[in-house]
Parts: sequence; C-alpha cells; structure tokens
Amino acid sequence: MRMAISGIGISGGFGCGVAALRQALQCGVVEPRQCSVERNGAIDTFPAYRTSLEGLDEFIPKRALRRIDHFSKMTLHSACLALQDARLSGGDLSRMGVIIATGYGALKTTFDFLDSYLDFGYSCSSPTHFSNSVHNAAAAHVSMQFKATAPSLTVTQFEMSVPSALLTAQLWLAEGRVDQVLFGTIDEYCAVLRYCRRQFFATGEQGPLQPFTFTEQSAVVGEGAAFFVLSRGEEDARYGAIDAVTLGNHAVVPLTLPHDDLLIIGADGHAKCGRWYAQALTGRAVAAYAPLYGSFPAAAGFDLAVAALSQQDGILYASPATAGASDSALQVVAARRPLGKANIVCLKFGPGGDYGLIRLSR
Amino acid sequence: MSVKEKLKRVLIEDLNLEDVEPDEIDDDMALFGEGLGLDSLDAVELVVIVQKHFGVEIKDMEEGRPALQTINTLAKYIEQRLAG
Repeated sequence: MRMAISGIGISGGFGCGVAALRQALQCGVVEPRQCSVERNGAIDTFPAYRTSLEGLDEFIPKRALRRIDHFSKMTLHSACLALQDARLSGGDLSRMGVIIATGYGALKTTFDFLDSYLDFGYSCSSPTHFSNSVHNAAAAHVSMQFKATAPSLTVTQFEMSVPSALLTAQLWLAEGRVDQVLFGTIDEYCAVLRYCRRQFFATGEQGPLQPFTFTEQSAVVGEGAAFFVLSRGEEDARYGAIDAVTLGNHAVVPLTLPHDDLLIIGADGHAKCGRWYAQALTGRAVAAYAPLYGSFPAAAGFDLAVAALSQQDGILYASPATAGASDSALQVVAARRPLGKANIVCLKFGPGGDYGLIRLSR
Repeated sequence: MSVKEKLKRVLIEDLNLEDVEPDEIDDDMALFGEGLGLDSLDAVELVVIVQKHFGVEIKDMEEGRPALQTINTLAKYIEQRLAG
C-alpha cells in the first residue's frame, strides 16, 4: 500500500526545518561542530554533527519542557515541524498513530540514570531520568502533546530501525487502524557514545566523512530527528509517496533492483557496511548525503527526507562528497540531475549484509 | 558557598529551572505551588538532590514536609543534620 508523505519536520547538523535541509543540499557543505569530552584528565576533541533546538519554545512553553530530555525535545521539535508542514497543527489528531525508529534510544538519559544508580545507590536515582529512559517515552510525549490516542510505538533494530518501523506504519494504515502515522526517526549523540566509537574506530572518527571510500572508516558521529506525516490519501502526497518497503539480506538472497531507479544510499563512512554497497551496486547511479548530517542509525530517515524533497523538487541533488567515487564501479551523482520518470530508492546496508529498501514515487 | 546559595544553584540545575536565576529565589519563597511552582514529582527529586549534594537523607515525608517549605527551612534542616 502506498503511503503519501504530506509533511516533513527535520532537525540535524544543518539546522532545523525543510528549508534548512534544502539549503544544505543546494550548498553541498555542512561543517561538523568541534566537540570535546574530558576523560581521565585528558581532553578528547572530535567533530560531530549536533542538533540545535532553536524554535522549540514557539511550540511548547519552556517550563513544560523542563522534565523532558534532549532526545524527547528533538523528537517533539521535529514532530511539531512535521505537523505544521502538513497543516495539521491544532486539528483533531485522535486517530493519528505515532511510530518512532531509533538505533540507540535516549542514550544520555539512560546512562545518566545508570550512573546515578551506580554512584549513589537506588535512593538517589532520579525518577525523572528513569521515566525518560523508558524506551517509548519520546513517542509517549508526542502522543500526549497532540492528544493522539491511536497506537504509539518505538522500534529499534539498529541500522534497520527505519525500514522496520515503516513496515508497521504501512500495516496500521492498510488496516485502517489510523488515519495518519506521525513517523519519526531519531538518534542522539552523548559522551558515552563517543567513548564507544573511539574504542571501536579510533582515528576513523575524525572525518571528513567520505561515503564512497568504502574500504576506509571515515564516519563522523551525528544526531537529529526527522518526522513524516504519512497517510493513505493520494491527494496528500505533497512530497510523493512511499511505494514499497523491503527488508532482506544480500548475503542470503542477493538484492535485485530495477535498472532505471536512482539510489540514495545510506553509506556513512562505516567500512563494514560500505563493502556491501560496492558489491551490490556495480554500475548503478547513486547519491549519498551523510556528509550533511553525519553517521547514526536513524540517518536512514534523513535519506528518506532527502528523497521526498528531491521528488517535490523534481531533481536529485549532487552528492556532497565524491572522494573515492572513481575507485568504485558506481556512477556517483556528482551534479544535480532532473529526475525525469525515474523513481528514487533509499538503500541502507547493515554490517552483515542485511538491507532496508524504501522505494518512492511521485 | 553557603548552604542556601548551593541549594539555589542545584535546584536550578537539577530541576532544569532554565527561566529562573538564583537571585530570583527569595529565601522565604514557597518552593511549591504559588511560589517557585514546584510539584509533587519535584518533591521526590528534592529528596534525591539533598542526599546527593549534601549527604543528608530525608527518611520520611512526615519529617520532610516542614523542611521542604522554603530555602530557609530546607537550609536549616540540612545544617542541623550536618551538625548532628
């Protein structure tokens, strides 16, 4: 069943809103912020794509946000922007379902809660941290804020979280359980994540992010939230529609794609995932936009936002970084090109050859 | 830093009272309801804050209720416990 995209709300390292994303696509450059973490007396400095929450208090008063953590604030901000974009703000949203896809969930709050427990014992564990660390907390905040009494769900499947959650959205709409799905993809940065990534990837996290240098680690950590208003109605398809969502494993059943599709790939500088793109997409026209928002599991939702925007604009934007493209057998889209009749497919590979495929059309 | 000053600072930080400055919290201002506007969940957080930052345990609400009225009453309670 086709899912019409009638609104998008997004915030990431490039700024907030659809206009900021479009500007980043046109400009082709977003510089990550230099961040630092003190650990064992040493300062660790590294690049990261961080999100600003500027404008959130236009939707929700500051006082009402004081018990809400950064993860849920990012969630609420982009959810508000998506509903505003779909012109649904203030309406009856009781039959709107809420689905959130996240690779890691509310990392910072979860670790803060665990730290308080380990450092001070159970009697000093913050009840607010605990309530925000519950995995569906962000989705619940959204449901409560908009009085959306239809189902509310958070799906986690690491790199495959976004396509996996989209399948559920499709099911809810097909069954008529909801009129719309407010579908969000979120991940956040925190100091513990930086520590883990440094242990795993060492200097491979220093950037610049080169999505087509498939054999080398060049990921730069990012964070952000992208929301979509999805519905059954074709008349609502301001950004086109999602035709099909497929999950599989290329190592088990090799992936086949129609030859005229244009591919937005989720290559984000992770060498373990990169080799699958190189293997499966020989000779295909591909673009990758991770250098505009960084590396995080929910970035597959940002690729989807780029695809939706490209459909509205009728063009596929140039890949922002093309280093390594000439060494691969892929045809990297290095300059913007008209979409014509081609459809856009978002493809994300996990490290074991598992993939998620989202096909869009106008 | 006095107990009162530290209390105001940790209250703002730990309860995320972003729109309040320490100077704006009067020592006799009611912490709950009309005054600073805290609520019952904040009361639980306050018990945690007092134990975490001052090492003073508020064991039951019978004992804690009079202490949690204002900055003055809470500071006095903490100082008495630390002295005892």
